[in-house]
Amino acid sequence: MTLLHFQLLSAAIFCIGLYGVLARRSAVLVLMSIELMLNAVNLQLVAFGAFSGFGTSTGQVIAVFVITIAAAEVGLALAIVMRLFRSRGGVNMDEIDVMRG
Amino acid sequence: MSFAERHVLEWLIYLPMLTAAVLVAIPAAWRTTARWVGIGSGALLMVGSAWVFIAFDYSAGAETFQLIKVYTWLESVGIDFRLGVDGIAAPMILLTGIVALTGSVIAANVDRDAKNYYILLFVLIAGVYGTFASIDLFFLFFFYELAIVPMFLLIAVWGSSSTFADFVRTKEYGALKLVLMIVAASVLVWIAIIAIYVWVDIGTFDILRLRDAVQDGGLSSGAQKTLFPLVMVGFGLLAGLWPFHTWSPDGHVAAPTSVSMLHAGVLMKLGAFGIIRVGMTLLPEGMEAWAVVLFILGTVNVVYGAISAMSQTDLKYVIGYSSVSHMGYVIMGIATLDSIGLTGATLQMFSHGIMTALFFAVVGAIYERAHTRDTLILNGLAAKMGWTTAFFVIAGLTSLGLPGLSGFIAEVLVFIGAFSSEVTLAGTFRAGPLLGALGILGAAITAVYILRLVARVFFGQRDPQWDALPDLTPREILASGALVIPLVLVGVWPAPFLDVIRPGVDAILGGLP
Amino acid sequence: MEQAWLIPVFGFGAFAFLALFRKYLPGQGKHLAVLAIIAAFVAVWPVLFDMLDKGVGEHHFPRDWFSAGPLEVGWGIIVDPLTVAMLALITFVSVIVQVYSLGYMRHNGTDDSRIGWYFAVHSLFSASMLMLVLADNLLLLYVAWELVGLCSYLLIGFWFERRSAAEAAKKAFVTTRIGDVGLLIGVVLLIVEFGTVDIIEIMGSLGDPGVNQAVVTASAFLVFFGAMGKSAQFPLHVWLPDAMEGPTPVSALIHAATMVTAGVFLVARLFPLFDATDSAQMAIASIGLVTALMGAAMALVMTDLKRILAYSTMSHLGFMMLALGAGGYTAAIFHLLMHGIAKAMLFLSAGSIMHAAHEETDIRKMGGLRKRMPITSAAFTIGALALAGIPPLNAFWSKDEILLAVADGLNPVFVVLFLIAIVLSALYMGRAVLVVFFGKLKPENLDIHESPRIMAWPLALLAGLAVVTGFIALPIGYEGIGTFLVAPGDKPHAFEVVPIWLVASVVLALGGLALAYLLYGKEDTSRVDALRERFARAHDIVANRFYMDHAYQWTIDRVVLKVSGLLARFDRKVVNDVGVNGPGLGAVEAGRRLRYHVTGLFADYGLGIVVGVAVLGALLWFGV
Repeated sequence: MTLLHFQLLSAAIFCIGLYGVLARRSAVLVLMSIELMLNAVNLQLVAFGAFSGFGTSTGQVIAVFVITIAAAEVGLALAIVMRLFRSRGGVNMDEIDVMRG
Repeated sequence: MSFAERHVLEWLIYLPMLTAAVLVAIPAAWRTTARWVGIGSGALLMVGSAWVFIAFDYSAGAETFQLIKVYTWLESVGIDFRLGVDGIAAPMILLTGIVALTGSVIAANVDRDAKNYYILLFVLIAGVYGTFASIDLFFLFFFYELAIVPMFLLIAVWGSSSTFADFVRTKEYGALKLVLMIVAASVLVWIAIIAIYVWVDIGTFDILRLRDAVQDGGLSSGAQKTLFPLVMVGFGLLAGLWPFHTWSPDGHVAAPTSVSMLHAGVLMKLGAFGIIRVGMTLLPEGMEAWAVVLFILGTVNVVYGAISAMSQTDLKYVIGYSSVSHMGYVIMGIATLDSIGLTGATLQMFSHGIMTALFFAVVGAIYERAHTRDTLILNGLAAKMGWTTAFFVIAGLTSLGLPGLSGFIAEVLVFIGAFSSEVTLAGTFRAGPLLGALGILGAAITAVYILRLVARVFFGQRDPQWDALPDLTPREILASGALVIPLVLVGVWPAPFLDVIRPGVDAILGGLP
Repeated sequence: MEQAWLIPVFGFGAFAFLALFRKYLPGQGKHLAVLAIIAAFVAVWPVLFDMLDKGVGEHHFPRDWFSAGPLEVGWGIIVDPLTVAMLALITFVSVIVQVYSLGYMRHNGTDDSRIGWYFAVHSLFSASMLMLVLADNLLLLYVAWELVGLCSYLLIGFWFERRSAAEAAKKAFVTTRIGDVGLLIGVVLLIVEFGTVDIIEIMGSLGDPGVNQAVVTASAFLVFFGAMGKSAQFPLHVWLPDAMEGPTPVSALIHAATMVTAGVFLVARLFPLFDATDSAQMAIASIGLVTALMGAAMALVMTDLKRILAYSTMSHLGFMMLALGAGGYTAAIFHLLMHGIAKAMLFLSAGSIMHAAHEETDIRKMGGLRKRMPITSAAFTIGALALAGIPPLNAFWSKDEILLAVADGLNPVFVVLFLIAIVLSALYMGRAVLVVFFGKLKPENLDIHESPRIMAWPLALLAGLAVVTGFIALPIGYEGIGTFLVAPGDKPHAFEVVPIWLVASVVLALGGLALAYLLYGKEDTSRVDALRERFARAHDIVANRFYMDHAYQWTIDRVVLKVSGLLARFDRKVVNDVGVNGPGLGAVEAGRRLRYHVTGLFADYGLGIVVGVAVLGALLWFGV
């Protein structure tokens, strides 16, 4: 198991997440895809931390930060999704364009 | 140093902010309390300002900048909260004090949401004091912006719209135009300030140290000539420099009375003050190179404003254009690069500030009573409104340069400065005498429009619909009377003012190449 | 003598006090103003005697006022014969006029409602004029000069409820202000050229090497332009007749002692400036002559008593300017003094008539008043005869001096035209007297009676003076006026009589009066009517004041206001709508077009981010 394996796995997860964000219509699935991307990054951080050889825990600390922030973010995002569902009767991202110019 | 000497300048800035904070805390329904807090604070500011003016030591050998106070703020960047006054700033501080007091007295006429009105008014006053007292470029700019932003709400919420036969000027338009134009212009100033900071490269925004560095060749002549137009247009716009003046009549007309007083009376002076403080002091070679342009534009201001004022039919528009015209004398005086001319310009800033505040106070009072400012409808007011007429005529006579009132001394100094100015056009033609003569002609045109206005609005047979208009209230008489005193004082005995101004002028002109 | 600066202070003090506290004073403080001016009058005499004691000549007492840069301005005074003569005239006429006003401003036992203000401004008027004649520097002189203009504005417009009074006041101020543009430019030129404001210093160094003579000449013309405005010289005379809208005593003051005399005084004070410039002197003489003839012609055809007197003033101011242009400094000032006394009397008499005749001023509605108003008519007649140039009344002597100066200093064309003006002068004065006081009393005037004593006494006093003051020209007790009123730099000259001019002027004056009697002496007006028919066109032009008012009005309406209106439109349509709103609307339009790029869809933004990151990454990768 070298760093490259972790890198490849992380890249794969990130790309899956990216595809989901760009292509899925359901807001909930988009959120889940964002989670995938965040975790891909976390994986990178931890992997780099472990393989760097300095013996510091910086990578893990930042990963914990990201997880915390992601939790908060999901909480907020789900609240917005709930409101959207109540007011519009659906969470199809293609129909949500209130910020159109 | 006494306690007052150490702290008065900073408190002139804290006090209006504190007043605003106190006003935020009191309930909106306590209108009378809000008014008294405002007036009381205005009175304190007046006392403090007068103290600064009197304490200013103009004897030979005294420091150019006095009452200096420094609080380190961002040491790494070189931004300090740095206050001090020179001979130019001291009369401006006094002017601000007088107008702040009378303005807050007149502001008591505001009925709607008096509390918030006073809050914004005092934020504005804090900004004005800060600009005049700052000798740090960063804070000068900071306070300059602080003084402008409240204008938008003050005009848009408490202002009045005007409808004419063929066009309409809403208060929102006036407010938006005023703030957008001034903010846009201040971007130019900001660019110039950052450029000065970076190019002089001594790691400070301190005007005094920058000045010394520039004197020692710290800023190339080319850079100065490039930056000066930014300062000239950026600050000049607030001084009503032609052709960037149109915010001024529209803005002043839309603004409520006490805001017009403060804005035309004090804020426009910030522009001219900025040209002196930043342009002349930090960019002396740029000033020298661009003086003739500024001179010509100033003269255009005088004549153009006066001629435009002649055909206005709205009292406030007449005063608005008259402000454009009179600020022209200030610009002319600055551009003469002559000690008499610059002295005249500084005195004109003071004189015009007081005079125009008086104008707006009286016109505002008429508008509140008659609900019109149309000079074609108003007539014969003199018989019943004696005080109103007296104050308007005094302001009018000051503006047309009648001796015995402050305008004359200031204008005649500007004219003498213009005639003796060494500023040349294309290096050969001495433009001063010609432009000075045009300036004198402008003063005669002022006489025409002011007297036409007086004859039409105040004299003649009174239309019965104006029979019931009451004269000024005692409070308004007190405020207007307080404005008349400096006008007469400077007109009759200008020596104390000129003594204070002299060291400032000498120091600035001494820095020119 | 050094304390002469106190003379105007009485008036300024009275003004300030009355302006602030008149409401709380009995009679609105009118007596206080009268007392102040009497005090000033009394204070003139010690100055005169002190000067006679210390030597007739220029005494200079400088004082500091303010300084700006290298400029030092003082409020010092000059005391010389010119000043003292003017001080005496101004204070004396002011005293007379103010005492008279106590009666005039009272109708049916009640004072005018703004009587205090009237007397306050009166005080300021006299005080400003006193300051003007005392001023030792150009700037102080200009200050006083403008204050005089202001007071005339306030007094002419005293009854501001009348539209015509408000307009006349404005006209007076604006017209003189146009002259003042020239004056101020001239003054500033002199100040800058000589680096000082001191009159004596400037006048003393006019010819110094290094002085730019072009500037001196230019400022001579410009200063004279200012004098033209105040002294109602053609073409800036139009305000003077309209100034009749003020109370009549004000007219007396304006025409006799203040305001219009200021211009003549100014030219006299700065006499070396004009003496040094031949072209300026010629211009002064020419303008003076034109003014004299025009004024006389208009005085002849007017039917309004006060207007006749106003045009007469204009004509006589022309005489004074003519004399100054001819180098006759003494003659001009002497005539100024004599004319002042006579004209004050004429106006006060006219006021007395108006007071009695319900403000009537049309001479065609008068006639035979001499039986009803003996003092008034005697005074008016003496004044008229004096100005007509009948010996031994005072203006005869001064006019004779002018004639000598003109014959001496200018070419014969001027002399001939001046003689014509003398005839006209006698003619219109004769006409006024004959039409107003002789002939039959009109039925509507049957209830007319002499004015109250407070008005009659000043008239009688002035009449006495008009008879005797002329003799100061004669070498009685000293060598004549020519040794007292001497132009700076000139030698005193003794009194002289040239018989031919003396006879000519008396004969012409009497001839003018005889002609007046022929034309207007009888009830039958057929001869006048015939003449008017014969010269209908000329009469029409003169009666319409040479259409100058029309021309000015046209210029104001069609040119000045039009330009102003166009400029205001330009400001709104071009500078504002294009220059300011243009960029604003441009930004709005740009936004309107650009907004279609913003879909509001989450996926589009996401794609934007991905593409952006990809591009940045590629750039980084290839090391750009």
